[in-house]
This record gives sequence, structure tokens and C-alpha cells, in this order.
Amino acid sequence: MTAVAAKPAAGGAMNPTAMGVGFVILIILLAICWVVAPVDSRLMMLYALIGMVVGGVLIGFGTHFVPVGGAPAAMGQAPGIATGVAMLAAGAGLAGLFGGAWAAEQGTVVAVVTGAVGGGMMMAITCMMVNFIYVFGMGIPAASGKVKVDPITGDTQPEFKSQGTEGHGLPFVSFVGGVIGGLLAGGGGTLIYLMLLDLYTATLPTMMKATEAQIMPIAISAAGIFAVGMFLVNAVLTAYNITGTIEGPHDPKFKRWPRAIVASAVASALCGLAAILIVAM
Amino acid sequence: MESIVFGIGITALTGALATVAGAAEDTESNIGSQGDPNSQVQLAPQMGYLHRIFNKAIAGEPPAYGLWCALGAGLAWAFMAMQINAVLAIVLGCVLAVFVQGVYSTTAYLGRTASLKKFGQPVFVDILKSMTTVTMAHAFIAIFCTVTLCYLMNAALGHPFPLPLLGLLWGIALGAAGSAVGNPYYGKERQYQNQKFGAGVPIAQSGNIVRYAEAGERNSLDNGFFTAKLGGPASGVCFGLIVFLELWRTILFEKIGAGWGAIIVGVLIILVFTIIDRYIEVWARKTYGPYAAPVKEASS
Amino acid sequence: MTVKIEVIAGGIPHTKIMVAGIIASLVCLYLSYLNVVTNSEMFSFFGGLAVVAALIWGSNTIKVLCSYGIGTGVPSAGMIAFGSGVIGMLLATKFGIAAPIVALVLATVIGLILGYLSNEVLNMKIPAMVQSLTELSVVGAFTLMGFAVLMTGGFTFETLIAGSVTFLGVSLPSYQVSFIGGCLIATAFMLGALAVQHPFNACLGPGWTQDRMLMLAAECGFLSMFVAAVMSFALITTGSALISLVVALVGWGYTYKHYIGLSKRDAASWLDSKPIPDVEGH
Repeated sequence: MTAVAAKPAAGGAMNPTAMGVGFVILIILLAICWVVAPVDSRLMMLYALIGMVVGGVLIGFGTHFVPVGGAPAAMGQAPGIATGVAMLAAGAGLAGLFGGAWAAEQGTVVAVVTGAVGGGMMMAITCMMVNFIYVFGMGIPAASGKVKVDPITGDTQPEFKSQGTEGHGLPFVSFVGGVIGGLLAGGGGTLIYLMLLDLYTATLPTMMKATEAQIMPIAISAAGIFAVGMFLVNAVLTAYNITGTIEGPHDPKFKRWPRAIVASAVASALCGLAAILIVAM
Repeated sequence: MESIVFGIGITALTGALATVAGAAEDTESNIGSQGDPNSQVQLAPQMGYLHRIFNKAIAGEPPAYGLWCALGAGLAWAFMAMQINAVLAIVLGCVLAVFVQGVYSTTAYLGRTASLKKFGQPVFVDILKSMTTVTMAHAFIAIFCTVTLCYLMNAALGHPFPLPLLGLLWGIALGAAGSAVGNPYYGKERQYQNQKFGAGVPIAQSGNIVRYAEAGERNSLDNGFFTAKLGGPASGVCFGLIVFLELWRTILFEKIGAGWGAIIVGVLIILVFTIIDRYIEVWARKTYGPYAAPVKEASS
Repeated sequence: MTVKIEVIAGGIPHTKIMVAGIIASLVCLYLSYLNVVTNSEMFSFFGGLAVVAALIWGSNTIKVLCSYGIGTGVPSAGMIAFGSGVIGMLLATKFGIAAPIVALVLATVIGLILGYLSNEVLNMKIPAMVQSLTELSVVGAFTLMGFAVLMTGGFTFETLIAGSVTFLGVSLPSYQVSFIGGCLIATAFMLGALAVQHPFNACLGPGWTQDRMLMLAAECGFLSMFVAAVMSFALITTGSALISLVVALVGWGYTYKHYIGLSKRDAASWLDSKPIPDVEGH
């Protein structure tokens, strides 16, 4: 018995009609937000929704950069990190969110950049240690299976690839990709969190008839769990887009990113609208 | 000034806790065989290689550790809300979280092995009995250290997130770091110890994991000492560096330049690690050299 | 080479499980409304039973979805279920007594759009994708709502943010000691996300049988209910939490014992301290 034969060759094709429909859904969602919001907070809520869409797109796009090899990478058969793409991106982005949330009172720009740097730092340390293990623990140099020459350093790849494998380790372009992915994911997650935090801090006191200091725990926790939820939705959608593994920005699969932008934008708008409606209704 | 010294002290403590947590996490996931290398443990019987390895298929390490740490933190938070002393609350919370982890481990092993009936892979009850408590013990260390460092971040350093959310966050980060660093070491070096050192496993050899080893038939307990040689400490250093540097740059440089000080230090740290990585990569290419064509074996 | 996921015909049809899951979860969630009627918190354990029902249904949905070889593995399906479920559930709590029905509607809408995005925009073109993602979104919302009921006694937004802290013997209202304020929802999120994908993930293989997977789903549900009941001691009265705890332990013991029995039934052999059996050629 074989796996149920499902899809025809799906692969990397773009579907312009669907992307157009997705774009239309996005506009509709933004319009719903404008219409349902109370008149005096319309601009604030639309601003928050657009911020969340941007954050979600950053997460979705950033996850494409992270080099993930899956199960074969754990045996030195494929380049990349031997973890699932959604959870690796989530780990880096959430570590960034941690830093960004701490810097929240210093302004949106500073906090988002702090979050981005936090995510990038986690990926830099992790990628470095991965290469450390490959080189010193397993005696395997880094080699890519998808390109002949590393686009950034110019190192040749094929002769460093062991026989019978598709490459292993993290060539420099994959390392840089990982760091960029961490930066974007951390920044995107922090942006979503901050948009929601500002919105809730402004609207919850009137809704719950309490002081700002009293409702702070609710605002922080609700914003935090929404950020985590939207993070995971965007990361899993990206995982679906790249079908599980990608070597980094030099991988041909990377060219599929436009699909993910549309999908992330619509998904983030939908989830963000629900988060906003909690205080709008 | 005092608050910075206090902050640095707590940072050092959390860095140490994170290092221990990372090492324990990687050892636990290798003893239980979790994550991406576990696909080989699952594949081996299908290729005819029956084995006595514990097949702990509980998602990957990031979501699993996200759960154990969020659970330990949530239970600790609940106990503290019931006015129980903080240390006792954390210990009790982690004990219950480890109990859940143990139950998940047993059901995973039984489920996966029972579904391999077609290939004749037996359920080894003695493996179940001996391995489960060992993984629970290592998991307890990892979970306890992570929940404690989350508590320190919240209570001593004043991070706005409540304890359960911090537990979820750092649990996923712990799993991601430990999995990224530790999985190739377990997968290639230990599972495929019989393959040539210094090269990846050829795809044709998939499933041919080591089943007869140092003294008799290998079981997962043997992976513990092996992980403690390099994979465990490396994962610990990785997670420890992540936590320590994140806190360090915030505590020391946050006030400088209205927050931009910490950002610049963060970028500098990224550049430092990029340089180190590049050095390692170049060193490997120079020292190991390219792969030569296989030498023809002399006919006997 | 990857693990082959194979489809085996037979067993209870998925539509039946889905309908049973929806009805059972809704009934249990509404039975917990007796708390409001009787002005107590004794009926909170129905939230836990709603969790068990939703998880049993969800595990079968994951089995249907992942049988098509989506390429990313089983845990991500659980993550997207709860990522979309938490958003639908939190918005639905604003609607008072209609919250469970609203959660069903909202999660369906969210799931449909996510399914459309995955299948058409991301070009996955899997026949069961849209329906499965929709169902998973509803499963996520119901499971989280069940946990909320179990830990706080109700499913309205006001109940979820209510809490009190005892200071020198006096009870003061505090938003910090509540389901949302203390972010116990994060723990509930991870409990559910792993419990929904574990039954299929753990029973994966050529010898997969449906009754064993469903029994494991029930066991995961009762185990999650057990730890959630322990956490509920902080938010509801001790007596009500004790009822939830006892129900959870009894349910867990029963399902765990039966799961081991079913594994014994299905395994190739059940050996204790025996060497690896010889297979020709290896």
C-alpha cells in the first residue's frame, strides 16, 4: 500500500488567480476592520492591523532564509540544520520577541530592532555551534548540494561533498541566510506583539473600567499569546511553501517566496482582525 | 550601580542554568532517541535491521520541550498563586511535568513499535522499564533549570511576560538550540558509528544503524555517556551563550543611547560569531581538504 | 529515505467521528454552564471532557491530513491547529453564553481561509487540505475553550480575566492571577498542540490501527486534563478542582491501561530481556 496518491506535480508553480483572490481577501479584511471599529479609534485599529500584516509577512519571508535540512541533515546527508523549519524559526523569533518585549517601553522602532537583533543573535550562535559540531565532532566540512560555488565567499563546493550525500553542514551563505532569517522573524514577531500591546493598553482601560496599570497583565499576556499563535501559523505556512527543507537563500526553492508573502499577509490580516475585534466590539 | 551588579549576578546564574539545561536536554533526547535522528530508528526495522533502541517519537524537541517547560512553569505559577514557596513550587511543577513526559515517552515507544508488527520488531518491555526513568531524570534537570531561569527573569530581572509564557518561549528555544546542535552528532556519529568517520552517511546506507556495539546489543542507555562527551556540552554552551548574551547586552547596555546601545552590542556579537564561523569553515576546508576518489582495494 | 505513511481502509468513518466530536464538545461545554445556573464551580470538569472529545476527533483529522504526505511532518499540523484556534477562541469568549457556537463559526471561517491559502496560493493541492485545516481550527478552539472552562469555571471573557489574590487573609481582585493574566493559556496551548498530534504521530507505521490511536487520543486528553486540574486549584474552589482531578485520574488510568493492552495485541511480539531476534540476511 502506498501513500494516497494526492497531488499532481504541485512544486514551485505560482497560481496567479489564487494570489489575486488572496489579495482581494486582504483588502476585504482591512475594510471590515475600518467599518467595525468605533469611529474615534478607526485609524488606530487600522494602523495596528497593517502593522500586524507587515509583521506576519516579515515572519513568513524570513523563515525562507533559514537553512533547514530535516532528517537527512542529522546524518550528514543534506546541508542545513537538523530541526523542523517551523519550530526553528519559532525558536529564533520567540527569543527575539523576549528581547523586544523587554524594550517595549523604549519606543516601537527600538523595540522592533532589539527583537530582530535578538533573533539574529540566537541564529548566529546556533549556526556557529552547528558548524562546530560538524567540523570538530564529525570531521565533515560544510558543502552545499545545490550550487557549485558559494555565492558570497566564492568557495567551490562539489569536491567537499562526501560520496553518496547531497552535501552537509552550513556553507557560509546558509549561515548568513540563517542570521537574516532570525533577524526578520524576531523583528516580525516583536512588531505583532507591540501593535497589539499598544492597542490593548489604549482600549482595555475603558472596556474593563480599570486603570492602565491594573489591566497591564491582561494586555501583555493576550498580546503575547496572540503573537505566539500568529507566529506559528505563519511559520507553518512557510513550511508548507518550501515543503519541509531548504538550504538557504541560494536554494532554487527560495524563488517561491512571493506565494508565501500573499499567504502570510492574508493569514496575518485574518488573525489580526480577530485580535482587534476583541476590543472593537 | 547596585542594580547593574545585581543584574549581572542574575545573568551569570541564568547563563549557568541555561548551559546545564542545554546539556541535559541533548542527553535526554539522545537517550530517548527523539527528533530527526529518530526517523532512522523507525526506518531500520523496515529495512530488516531489528534493534533494541528506544523509539521516543513525541514530535520534535522544540515543541516537546516547549510543552514540558510551559507545563512546569504553569504548574509552578499555579502553586505560587496558592501561596506556596517559590522553590518548592518550581520543584513540584517540574516533577509533575516530568511525569507527563514519562507517560508520553512510554506511549510513543509502544505505539511506534506496535505499528511495526509487519517487520517483526518486538516490543522490549525491559527497554521500556529501564529507559523511561533515565529520560525522565535528565528531562527533570533540563526542565527545572529552564523554569528556574524563567522565574529569575520574571521575578529578579523584571521581564513583563508571566512565567508560563516565558516557559513556553524558552522551552521552544531550548529545544531548537539543543536539537540543531545535538542531532547531527547523535545521528551520524552514534547511530552510524560503523560508517567511515569524516564523511556523511551515504543514502544507500539508510536504516543500517548500529545495533551490536561495545558490549553486546546496543540500547539507548549507551548513548548517554557518548552524548556527554561532546554533543551534550556543545548544546549546553550554545543555549547558555544564547541566554547569557541576550541578558548581558540588555542589562549592561540598555540605558546607553536610549536602547540603541544594546542593539549595537547585539550586532557586534553577531559579527563576532560570523567571524568565528567563517574561521571554522575555512580551517576545515584547509585541514581536511577535498574528498579524494576511493582507493581501489587490492585483490586478495 | 523517509518513513512511509500508508492508508489502511476500515475503521469508523471520519465523518462520523467529526460529527460525534462536534456534538460531544458542544454538549460538554454547555453542561459546564450549569456552573452559572447553580452559582458554583462544581461542573468545571465538563470542560476537561470537552477537551477529550475534541482531541479524539482532532487526532483522526490529523490522520486523514497526513496520509497524503504533506512533506512537513505531523507536529506542524498540531501547531497550525492551535495557532488558529487560540485566535478564534479568544474572540468567541466575548459573546457570553453563545461563545461555543461562535467559536465553532469563527474557527470554521479562519480554517477555511487558511485551507484555501495552503491549497491554492501555496499550491499544495491536497484534496483533504481545506476540510482538514478547517476541522483542526475548530478542534483547537474547542480544546482551548475546554481548558479555559476546566481552569476557571466558565467560557466568557470576564471569567477568563477574573482572579483574586489573598493578602493578609483578605481576597482582593487581581487581573494578574487569572487564566489570561497569568498566561495559563500558553500552557493550555502547548498541552493541546502536542496532545492532538501525538496519537497519530506515535501510532504511525504500517501496522496503524484506528482503535489504538483513538484510545491513545483519549489517554492524552485525560492526562492533559489531569495537569490542568492541578493548575485549576489556583483559580477555582478546592472542592471543584478535586472533582476534576479525580475524574481525570480515573479516566487516565482506564485509557492508559487499555492502550497498553491494545499495543500488546498489535505488537509483533512482547519480549522481556530477550536478545534481538534473527532476521534472515541481516
